Amino acid sequence: MVVRTEAQASRRSSLRRRPWSLATVGLLRKNRDLLVGTLLTGFLIIILAAPGVWTPYGPNEIDTTRSLQALSAEHVFGTDELGRDVATRVLWGTRITLGMVALALGIPAVLGAILGLLAGYYRGAIDVALSRGVDVLLSFPSMITAVIITGILGPGIRNGVLALALIYLPMFYRVARGATMAEANKTYVEAARALGVRSGSTVFRHVARNIVTPIMIQFTILVPAAIQIAAALGYLGLGVQPPTPEWGAILNQGKNYMFNAPWISVFPGIAIVFSAVAISTLGRGLQKAFDPSAKT
Amino acid sequence: MTSFLAQRFLSMLLTALIVSILVVLLVHAVPGNIVQQMLGQLGAGSSDARATLEAYFGLNRPMHMQYLDWLGELMRGSLGDSWNQGTPVVNLVLRAFAVSAELAVLSLLFALLVGSLLGIAAALFHDTVVDLGIQAFNVLGLSLPAFWVGAMMLVVASNVFGWGPPFRYAGPLDNLQLNAQIMVLPMLALGLFNAAAISQFVRDLVLEAVRLDFVRTATAKGASRTTVYAKHTFRNILVPLTSFTGVIFIGILGGVVAIEAVFNLPGIGRLILWALQTRDYPVVQGGVFLMAAVTLLVTLAVDFLYAVFDPRITYA
Repeated sequence: MVVRTEAQASRRSSLRRRPWSLATVGLLRKNRDLLVGTLLTGFLIIILAAPGVWTPYGPNEIDTTRSLQALSAEHVFGTDELGRDVATRVLWGTRITLGMVALALGIPAVLGAILGLLAGYYRGAIDVALSRGVDVLLSFPSMITAVIITGILGPGIRNGVLALALIYLPMFYRVARGATMAEANKTYVEAARALGVRSGSTVFRHVARNIVTPIMIQFTILVPAAIQIAAALGYLGLGVQPPTPEWGAILNQGKNYMFNAPWISVFPGIAIVFSAVAISTLGRGLQKAFDPSAKT
Repeated sequence: MTSFLAQRFLSMLLTALIVSILVVLLVHAVPGNIVQQMLGQLGAGSSDARATLEAYFGLNRPMHMQYLDWLGELMRGSLGDSWNQGTPVVNLVLRAFAVSAELAVLSLLFALLVGSLLGIAAALFHDTVVDLGIQAFNVLGLSLPAFWVGAMMLVVASNVFGWGPPFRYAGPLDNLQLNAQIMVLPMLALGLFNAAAISQFVRDLVLEAVRLDFVRTATAKGASRTTVYAKHTFRNILVPLTSFTGVIFIGILGGVVAIEAVFNLPGIGRLILWALQTRDYPVVQGGVFLMAAVTLLVTLAVDFLYAVFDPRITYA
């Protein structure tokens, strides 16, 4: 039996009248954050997709005859102590740093959502156990967690991602758990239960798709902080190792030349700030688009 | 409320106990212990020597015994001696923590002052150029990595103004003037990010509080703009701001490692990092546990203040 309310019917027809591309344009015009964020993030994605196109040099191309050169027409961001082109390394770093951050937030987002769904829907012992575990994780200050994890597993991209994932798991768990608890009281859950839908299917098919938006919003909120911590790990020599051109690792290697060749340290930092601004602006735009009640 | 606080306190103790177990387990999970490092440096490696040394550090005992020994020490308020320096861990950890705590408190105060003022200004001049400018500052500030800002400040201070902070660390009680010179740049570097966070938070809070019914009533009955803000609006942002301040403080403490590395400060983050690298288990355990304990206590204090500030909140 299909019951279609009038509101649904009229929404369908209004959707038919406006193709999605026009709807998107309308949305972008009203939502300044979304427009600016999309443009800036798009710029990042273009660089990330093909970092080699913009530069004649390779990221690890050494030329000791041109070491520590200041900004010039050939080397717009100067060169480092091995004569590598800083601009090229920063461009390639986009892929590594942002890729790292995407994984470091993506893994805990999925895991935190699953655990939060289970804790928020079933409550009881599973909720107590998971929430206690999260309290324990939260009582370790973030960089200390990262320092210990990379101390145990050794430095490197994979372990850096793991450390970051552990830092951000509690935040996703809490958002998912809260959202699930709110959803669990709604009528569609009651209806599913009354129809005899198995509880596993109710949680992971019905409730799950309703907590996707808060999880996505949390993801974009955490991006700037995650970029900073990833870079801090690289800077401390605990994350990505040289000669890989990750922004934090470039800063680490540039710190020995900070005063006589500051350009090695300036530009990776600007790249960090730029990408954090780009993605957080996009995030605020998405937040406004998905949740119009959000503060503006 | 007493029963709520008692319950929260007991729950915190349980978390602290789990943390203490985890700390010891994690520290022992770091590959290679201090004996291997010492023998590695000497180029010696007879199994006799290793066994003797491991017995000396108690590393040959079962894990749970090593944990219980440490827990016993912790209960007595001692954390054993550093394996590298031979000095009591408590002294090492507390001295380092004092440096980090001073930095954290200074940057928190800076962030609270600047952040609240900017946040209130942005809300008062909602949707004007002032608001837009402050919002731009917030977005930028939240994207600035503190350690990088610190490094850039050092470069500008040195290359442009020919000034650099003193090389040797001095505490505020030893030499206040030197201490101020050492702390000012790291305080600003850490404070900037958090000022942006607080400014954003306060702006949203004020804008939300202005829409509340009783604020509208106050305006309607003819109260002046000053009264409406000072008496009705700002009072309502105190509670959430308190809890947010706790979150910010924990965040600052969690992030001091990198800023300490940039400014060469002998703080707790670098102590833990260094102890971990030299496998000085008592120092790592003591340092990490202290950080976790402070985090838990700040969280508890926030819950408590929440109840004190807002009489509407009752914990049945």
